[in-house]
Amino acid sequence: MLQLLVAGLTVGSGYALVALGIHIVLRATRIINFAQGEFTIVGGLIALTFVQVLHVNTWIALAGATLVGFGLGLLFERLVLRPAARSGEMALTIATIGMVSILLYGHALVPGWGSLPQPLPAFSGDVSDAVAIGGASIQIQSLWVLALLLLALALLYVFFDRTYYGKAIRAAANNPAGARLIGIDVTNARSVSVGLAIALAAYGGTIIGPITLVGGAGGVVIAIKGFVAAIVGGLESPAGCVLGGLLVGVVEKLIQGLPGVSYGISDPIVYALLLLALLIRPQGLIGARSAVRD
Amino acid sequence: MIARLRADARALPVLAALVVAFGIAAAWNPTFAQAGTYAAIYAIAAIGLSLLMGNVNQISIGQAGFFGIGAYAVAYGTTSWTLPQAAAWPLAVLLGVVSAALAGLAVGFIALRFRGHYLAVATLAFGLICVGVFHESAILGGAIGIQDVPYPQFGALTISGYPAYWFAWAVAALVAFASINLLRGRTGRAFETIRNDELAAEVLGIPTRRFKILAFAYAGALAGLAGAIYASFLGIVVPDAVSVPLSITLLLMVVLGGSGSVSGALIGAAILGVIDISGHQFENSREVAYGVLVIVVVIAAPGGLFGLLRNLAKARPRPPLDEPGATRAMPAAATRVVARAAPVESGAPAGVAPLAVEGVTKRFGGLVAVNRVSFALERGTLTSLIGPNGAGKTTLFNAISGVGTLSDGRIAIAGTDVTGWQPHRIAALGVGRTFQNARLFGEMTVLENVMAGSFRRERTSFGADLLALPSARRASREAIDRARATLARLELEPLAGTLARDLAFGDRRRVELARAVAADPWLLLVDEPAAGLNANERATLQRDLLALRDDGVTLLLIEHDMRLVMSISERVMVLKFGTMIADGPPEHVRNDAAVVAAYLGTGA
Repeated sequence: MLQLLVAGLTVGSGYALVALGIHIVLRATRIINFAQGEFTIVGGLIALTFVQVLHVNTWIALAGATLVGFGLGLLFERLVLRPAARSGEMALTIATIGMVSILLYGHALVPGWGSLPQPLPAFSGDVSDAVAIGGASIQIQSLWVLALLLLALALLYVFFDRTYYGKAIRAAANNPAGARLIGIDVTNARSVSVGLAIALAAYGGTIIGPITLVGGAGGVVIAIKGFVAAIVGGLESPAGCVLGGLLVGVVEKLIQGLPGVSYGISDPIVYALLLLALLIRPQGLIGARSAVRD
Repeated sequence: MIARLRADARALPVLAALVVAFGIAAAWNPTFAQAGTYAAIYAIAAIGLSLLMGNVNQISIGQAGFFGIGAYAVAYGTTSWTLPQAAAWPLAVLLGVVSAALAGLAVGFIALRFRGHYLAVATLAFGLICVGVFHESAILGGAIGIQDVPYPQFGALTISGYPAYWFAWAVAALVAFASINLLRGRTGRAFETIRNDELAAEVLGIPTRRFKILAFAYAGALAGLAGAIYASFLGIVVPDAVSVPLSITLLLMVVLGGSGSVSGALIGAAILGVIDISGHQFENSREVAYGVLVIVVVIAAPGGLFGLLRNLAKARPRPPLDEPGATRAMPAAATRVVARAAPVESGAPAGVAPLAVEGVTKRFGGLVAVNRVSFALERGTLTSLIGPNGAGKTTLFNAISGVGTLSDGRIAIAGTDVTGWQPHRIAALGVGRTFQNARLFGEMTVLENVMAGSFRRERTSFGADLLALPSARRASREAIDRARATLARLELEPLAGTLARDLAFGDRRRVELARAVAADPWLLLVDEPAAGLNANERATLQRDLLALRDDGVTLLLIEHDMRLVMSISERVMVLKFGTMIADGPPEHVRNDAAVVAAYLGTGA
């Protein structure tokens, strides 16, 4: 049971970071970035390249992938989102779906990446190293994932709540016109927001890499679980996104752990939960009733 | 809308000729014929998605789910049922289409509870649920799917190979024809009002949510039909073939061709269908190219290829209005300006107030915008509601017309308690309304705007629209005639063909009044009709309002022009900070100390 719980929290950490990324892009651009899951996959692959080509350890690769992710985010905002925004919200959403197509199929074309998932070296020791806690065997890597999730949350909190720049970005997202009036560069804030969201995707793709492998065509599935997480927790609330992500991970692992449940049916059940969550509590666990139409 | 649709209908014969030409050329090239067959199949699904995206503004990333339902229905039915193929195939197709339509209804019903983002996510989730179910169902063959699906057979005739091209395009042509009919009819006009301004459509009595769900069901049915034909000609259905990439491809087709038009969907499907087959050896880079293409298209040409073509065509002069009915005799201008065809017959029975508001309260967070307001209107009277800006007048109008929910209180219209009703149901009772900022349907002509006003009096069915039955055509003609008569009565006839967004400010207000009057309301709420009008326009407005009242319409008017208010109202109510501070005949209210204080202040 504890083992399932930790396994759930581990995959849930990945979903939580995807959900947070979706939340940040939504705040900045008012649309959902459907490519967030693909960026997570690509981020993990970038870390793999660091390891394979530069022969660095996973920690350095994590920092490198996060930085490259930030740069990719800036490019994505400048080359895709900003021009598409002129054609309206639906066009903007469609542009992110176009980005899904580019990343999903494009990453298989990159030398060294290919279309099959590959393992990323462990953060410490061996991937299979485990400790026994209360009779359950817990992977050391799972503990690293949870610790790194907390680290990311702490950094984000400090940035958005404790620095002038982070507050300016929040102001720009809340009220672009008002922010402009008091001299905040809203365009720049938007750009940095998307950069951060994609950096977060790369970070998330890397920290779960040693356990779940990196690469493959699973980006859409990761993205949708990120949505499920964000929507279950509350798309408008960062805490809700994290909570939702962990919850979705745990529910998924518990369903898979039930006797007689085939592995493949757990995903459809999770998606059905999403629809149910939308119906019952559209504003999420945490959040105002703004999701419901007036 | 009709202009847009006209371009669409005009393009179809050209596209049909291209299909025939390609078909003849493909007789010598099986690969081309096969590519063309798939293009037709995609086109069927893309037309549905195009209507959904372009005509009611709803995005779906789950069309592959409906496609899969149709495909699996045919694959399962034709391989498992102990029926002769001639019976099994049509039955299986029917099952697939009906199931997909029902799934569309369900998805629409669930997804439309939410705004845009959630809707797109919900459709994506639906698509993934379908793939998961196909993958896990033993009777559907699990991961390896269903193989050896037979070709459609009608007696001795088996359709496969080259004839399949013609068969698939014949179905696509029928779908294109039915869809154009649908857009031309009452359903299409309702779609167009939703695309332009949902709230305005609701207060005209158009059940917008119902029409959006209908669009989902129609798009679902077409995707199911496409899937059914796909399974028959490919002979094998696997879960991965009807997964997210297919949904994305369909989306790309619609975006590339131009959403909201049948021709655009056909163009997009044809181009991607052909690239799809001929670019088989470039797997992956082909999909990357699609992604780049769709981003470039939404940035550079949001109307898609068909939008580009239409803009080119627009550069040439267009013949003047050639709508059906344009040449018919105009109804003679009535002697009285707004005299209606028949006196107001419905409404409240004698002795029951057309409108009774009881203790209505509306709070926005901590702000009480309307505070326990009660009043009842007498039939056939003109009452004005005045008060300083922010007094809660428009909020009260919203409450009466069902926009938003009340915090407290009850509203009865003609004795019927309508508290909590949706705007379109309240409108259907015979309640009309105009908006402070004249919410016209900008992309529609004045005539079409006024036609939308009488929408709820039109009686045709979805099926009649689809097949363009005489009854549907007659209903459309009658709607045009009715709208023209209304325009003539209000002396707006010369503007009939103008797009609403091109109207001058004063004309916008008059057209909005005409649109509200076209519904033959017996209770009419008019929000600041005189704002921004010149003296002449005000005189016309005054005459029109009084004529309506003399016809027995009960009017409630929000207005800041005191001269107008005092000269035409039988009764004046004054709101201040949400509370009613005065209520009575104009001369009484004019001298009321509280009212004077509210307007001029008490400092002096």
